[in-house]
Amino acid sequence: MSEASAIASPTVPVLECDRVTRLFRVKRGLFETPVALRAVDDVSFAVHGGEVLAIVGESGCGKTTLARMLLGLLPPSSGSIRFAGRPMEGVGRSEIAARVQPVFQDPYSSLNPRKTLGQIVGLPLAVHRIGTEDERRARIAEIMELVGLPPHLVHAYPNQLSGGQRQRVAIARALAIQPAIVVFDEPTSALDVSVQAQILNLLMELRRTLELTYIFISHDLAVVEHIADRVAVMYLGRLVELGDTGRIFEDPRHPYTETLLRSILTPDPALGLPPGPFDGEFPDPLAPPSGCRFHPRCPKAMEHCGATAPEARTDSSGLVECHLYNGKSHDR
Amino acid sequence: MTSERDTILRVRDLSVDIPVPSGTLHAVRNVDLSAIRGRTLAIVGESGCGKTMTALAVMRLLPGRARLRAREIGLEGTDLRSLSDKAFSAIRGNRMAMIFQDPMTSLNPVYPIGDQLEEIHIRHRGSGRREARERAEYLLARVGIVNPGTRLRQFPHQLSGGLRQRIMIAMALMCDPALIVADEPTTALDVTVQAQVLHLLKDLQAEFDMALILITHDLGIVARIADRIAVMYAGRIVETGSSRQIFAAPTHPYTQGLIDCIPYPGKTERRTALGSIPGIVPSLVGDAPGCMFRNRCAMAEERCRDGGNVERSVEDGHSYRCVHPVERLRGTMVPS
Repeated sequence: MSEASAIASPTVPVLECDRVTRLFRVKRGLFETPVALRAVDDVSFAVHGGEVLAIVGESGCGKTTLARMLLGLLPPSSGSIRFAGRPMEGVGRSEIAARVQPVFQDPYSSLNPRKTLGQIVGLPLAVHRIGTEDERRARIAEIMELVGLPPHLVHAYPNQLSGGQRQRVAIARALAIQPAIVVFDEPTSALDVSVQAQILNLLMELRRTLELTYIFISHDLAVVEHIADRVAVMYLGRLVELGDTGRIFEDPRHPYTETLLRSILTPDPALGLPPGPFDGEFPDPLAPPSGCRFHPRCPKAMEHCGATAPEARTDSSGLVECHLYNGKSHDR
Repeated sequence: MTSERDTILRVRDLSVDIPVPSGTLHAVRNVDLSAIRGRTLAIVGESGCGKTMTALAVMRLLPGRARLRAREIGLEGTDLRSLSDKAFSAIRGNRMAMIFQDPMTSLNPVYPIGDQLEEIHIRHRGSGRREARERAEYLLARVGIVNPGTRLRQFPHQLSGGLRQRIMIAMALMCDPALIVADEPTTALDVTVQAQVLHLLKDLQAEFDMALILITHDLGIVARIADRIAVMYAGRIVETGSSRQIFAAPTHPYTQGLIDCIPYPGKTERRTALGSIPGIVPSLVGDAPGCMFRNRCAMAEERCRDGGNVERSVEDGHSYRCVHPVERLRGTMVPS
């Protein structure tokens, strides 16, 4: 298969984040004054048409908040998101939905149990008033076939389906109105491995045939390595590294990325457990460490890492935000 | 290789049946396994394969309706089948302990965690409050929790998922058990925390010389920490062997399929189709002679309808249940 570079070089990114920040006001106790939680902090990146961009990081790193902003479900506190060059503020709610569709982690809670498959998959068509009733019925049949659901299930309810079939329904629903971008939030982590493989194969095939762009949020780095073109690594709301999948996995630059990669457990009995990544707790997001947010857990931390925050540096290998790469070339 | 004394748990011919409206659900069928001191046995399989039911049967924690049959369930030479519930509860939490996937549901939300740890020691060892507290503090420190004294006064909701799972491990160790059964202990955790918790389990196993039974669906974890592996499908163990034997020479078509399914950075070519097992798990209700995997198996033939459950040997310590001989199964490794 072709590498990321073989994808038609785009002129305008399909989706762009420019210094996107999202704050939440959190009360720690009943009588405490609220504290600002920077769930996503000054994140900028561009998504090109036809690529799979994975967003990885531990729970609490802001990846789901970022996804909700990309879906137009949550406005950024500052910064802007652009669709094909147009700022999102100027794009209506229904137009955003027509361009970007979500698929969530849990196919048990994301489908309405009282609706049949036909109704679930057809709802976006009805909402967007696409086609006549007959055309919609034909479209539902077509899309169900596309995701590998047998036609007789059109009258079935979600509780009659297996986990894998439910996730196919969620994918069918997302694709019904032909969006350009699909945002997947942990789409296979609730599934068994044999079913996960079926769904991943389906996603790769759909992307090829429908020329879709995927934003793929996952904590499973082996899955990310397999299907993503580029990987964005987040830590405590910051985008700390971004680059082509091959480069990230072969030559990670940020110490946090290195740590994440070391914790992948490939099924090789000769290897044993990797050395413990780091001791110490994930920091309190309400009181993030000073300087570089990763410095208390960083094996390569230097004296000034706790004092000043590193600046993001962008070059031909992508983006990295680490003092190791600040102010000097890194031709290692 | 291992003496009788080192076999902590021996299970022979264990079956678990659950009556359901449409008949009898055979959750576990004719399972044999043993856990050895200082070693790790992994039970691997997908949801509904019977791995958790097997563990619950050993711990006598099956749901009330379930019926258990076994020729032997022996722990350190005691036949657990003959024990009264009272006698059994003196062993559970004491000589053997279980760690569950979700620590939030296995800790009592209305008591400080200290009380919950100490209670175990007081009950099984008849120790005083102070002795129990010392043991709890020692173990909390041992599982890598800083300032254990403070943590013991906290409630479960005040702790992160990783901390709670460490506390579950400390809880299981309170009475220095000979056997720990851990059911998906890291599934709810982040990858970095997962690595820490697995390290901890491994270290403690060596330090306390325990047998560990690890139940998981994650082949990556299994490969890295198990000594022996039992692969379960639809209630049966379909293949068993050492970790090296199973990964170097998977023999049952289900085991081969399972290994093929997972992306392997550096080995599977990126953005190509992964191997997958077509179809879904069959219903476990009713009598089903023959191989349960046959409706998903590329090699199924007529005789799989009523055969396929006889154990065949690959080599010493490695066996599988399938009608086909090893050579045939190897000759047709699932193409990737």
